[in-house]
Amino acid sequence: MVELLAPAGSLEKLKYAFLYGADACYLGYKNYSLRANAKNFSREELKEAVEYAHSLGKKIYVTCNIVFHNDDLEGLLEYLKYLESIHVDAILASDITVMRLMKENNIKVDLHVSTQASTLNYEVAKFYKEEFGATRVVLAREASKEDIERIYEETGMEIECFCHGAMCTSISGRCVLSNYCTNRDSNRGGCAQICRWVFDYYKNDNKITDTPFSMTPKDLNMVSLIQDMIKSHVFSFKIEGRMRSIYYVSTVILVYRRLMDRILDGTLTPEYAEYSLNILNRVANRESTPQFFDKLPGVNEQYYLGREELSNQDFLGLVLDYEDGVVTLEQRNNFKLGDTVQFFGPNMETTTWVVDNIIDEEGNNIDVARHPQMIIKMHIPFKVQKNDMMRIKMFDFSK
Amino acid sequence: MNLSKVLININSLGDLEEYKKIGITNFLFALKDYSIGYQEFDLEDIPKDSYILINRVLDTKGIDGIKAIKDKLLEYKGIIFEDLGIYNIFKDSDIELIWAQAHFGTNTESINYWLSKCESALLSNEITKEEITDIVNNAIKPVVFNVLGKNMIMYSRRTLLTNFNKYNNLDEVNDVVLDETHTNNKFYAHETSNGTAVFNNEYFNYIDFSKSLDDSKIKYYLIYNLDLSIDEIKNIIDGQPFGNDGFLNKKTVYRMSEYTDR
Repeated sequence: MVELLAPAGSLEKLKYAFLYGADACYLGYKNYSLRANAKNFSREELKEAVEYAHSLGKKIYVTCNIVFHNDDLEGLLEYLKYLESIHVDAILASDITVMRLMKENNIKVDLHVSTQASTLNYEVAKFYKEEFGATRVVLAREASKEDIERIYEETGMEIECFCHGAMCTSISGRCVLSNYCTNRDSNRGGCAQICRWVFDYYKNDNKITDTPFSMTPKDLNMVSLIQDMIKSHVFSFKIEGRMRSIYYVSTVILVYRRLMDRILDGTLTPEYAEYSLNILNRVANRESTPQFFDKLPGVNEQYYLGREELSNQDFLGLVLDYEDGVVTLEQRNNFKLGDTVQFFGPNMETTTWVVDNIIDEEGNNIDVARHPQMIIKMHIPFKVQKNDMMRIKMFDFSK
Repeated sequence: MNLSKVLININSLGDLEEYKKIGITNFLFALKDYSIGYQEFDLEDIPKDSYILINRVLDTKGIDGIKAIKDKLLEYKGIIFEDLGIYNIFKDSDIELIWAQAHFGTNTESINYWLSKCESALLSNEITKEEITDIVNNAIKPVVFNVLGKNMIMYSRRTLLTNFNKYNNLDEVNDVVLDETHTNNKFYAHETSNGTAVFNNEYFNYIDFSKSLDDSKIKYYLIYNLDLSIDEIKNIIDGQPFGNDGFLNKKTVYRMSEYTDR
């Protein structure tokens, strides 16, 4: 049994995450969570999220993983009790004070050790398990296969690892670059991603090169090693990106869902793995690659100048309805007659189609759907469902 | 400042006697292969009455390596540690343990938790003087307070300099300065096979402020020295203006709304 764990930056994203195949979602309240500038959840929304997840037999993990200053502690215990009262499935923490409060107040919610705690070895994991009853540890992104296997062998804890998304240059939790450059506290959710900026490069007051120094890692993408991660006893496969779009999250989750299901039922082929990789590389608009699992990353796992980070305009429309061969779509990016598109969704195989009709809300045939979020209809020769998506055709895959 | 409470990292064994001449007698040695950012020493070269700095985030090999030399480490005065695995290994022994998890010593509750478990705990450098005073006054035991140093503000497991040099066909170069021109921040980067440590390139100096703290609540005034001479350190301790005031008077924010409201 393994778990696909998705980010949920809002209630809407959470619903798409579950629809597209996530087993659990992690999310944050407006306070105490490291994505301080994501939309995040109100208390009422947290409760709604838990009820919704549980109605589907799925789980909600709430991040409470900032490094607290004294002022931030106000209301923390009451908040932890609230999370218990609404039956969240786990709380993620990195600050020992959260863990201690949970233990001392007998808060009956599973404790997951956040990746911000930088766990790479079994002695740390044992400490959290024995001292605070932590049931799961989210390993630092720097964890190798050897680290993962040893932690599982020595502790029997659930192991959660990131499998996809952006990487920090620093070990998570060990960086305050943002504090210096922008006065935004990276360990309280204010990270300004300074490690993606460029710097002049000096030695002894002499500029070494006119090429600006950069240190940005490529994104993480574990498609090629998911099978090995499962063998290494990774239980939960975590996708990064609470601030990403529903299109990104839905696409990535669906790819990993189908990939993992094929691994588990023994039907994965190299061709399908390659297809998955192509889809993920396209949707992320940045290159992605395995990082620390199988090696120490080198020059090939980082970005340097000349990289392209273009805005992705592949997402063309969201299916609002389908009836008698007619799909109703909310436009998300410009498309026109003659475009080759693909419909995809949790209950359909990806289906390619050439747009041969577009009808606007007044019933007029039009050539181009150019207005953001305009509602259009199209006659299509296959069935789709509400919340399926339409994108520009990217890659073919035939079984 | 009470010199008998100064704890300073050592860059050369030859400095020990010179420090003693000016009244500094507590020394910290970064342990080779298990530390990052500072001059490293083989265990056998470190005087037994010293503290050992183990500030790497340790992987499996690292923690196994520490366990293999546990008995030897127990001969030393104490260990200042980053990785909580060190605490788990040494918690039942008599050696002094000082919790120094980078950037995490930011609230009284966490500090007091570690003070209940260890000999002492290190305060973060990224909090204001009001926050420092509050924590020190409410700590259940004397704490370690970093009064002078270049703040290590990032630690990457990646060999960032080697990778960049290789990509650009540059000669191998280490100990560089990264200049962020938009915000006018300069950072010093030092790389070893264990990763890259990035420091703010300007020293912070909290010595004058530390005089306002209750000395009985301080176990050590910690100095991390990267490149200052002993004379320079003595002069700074004696009050010579030097360095910046770090975050003493600058409260960090973390929401864009707070940022724009400033």
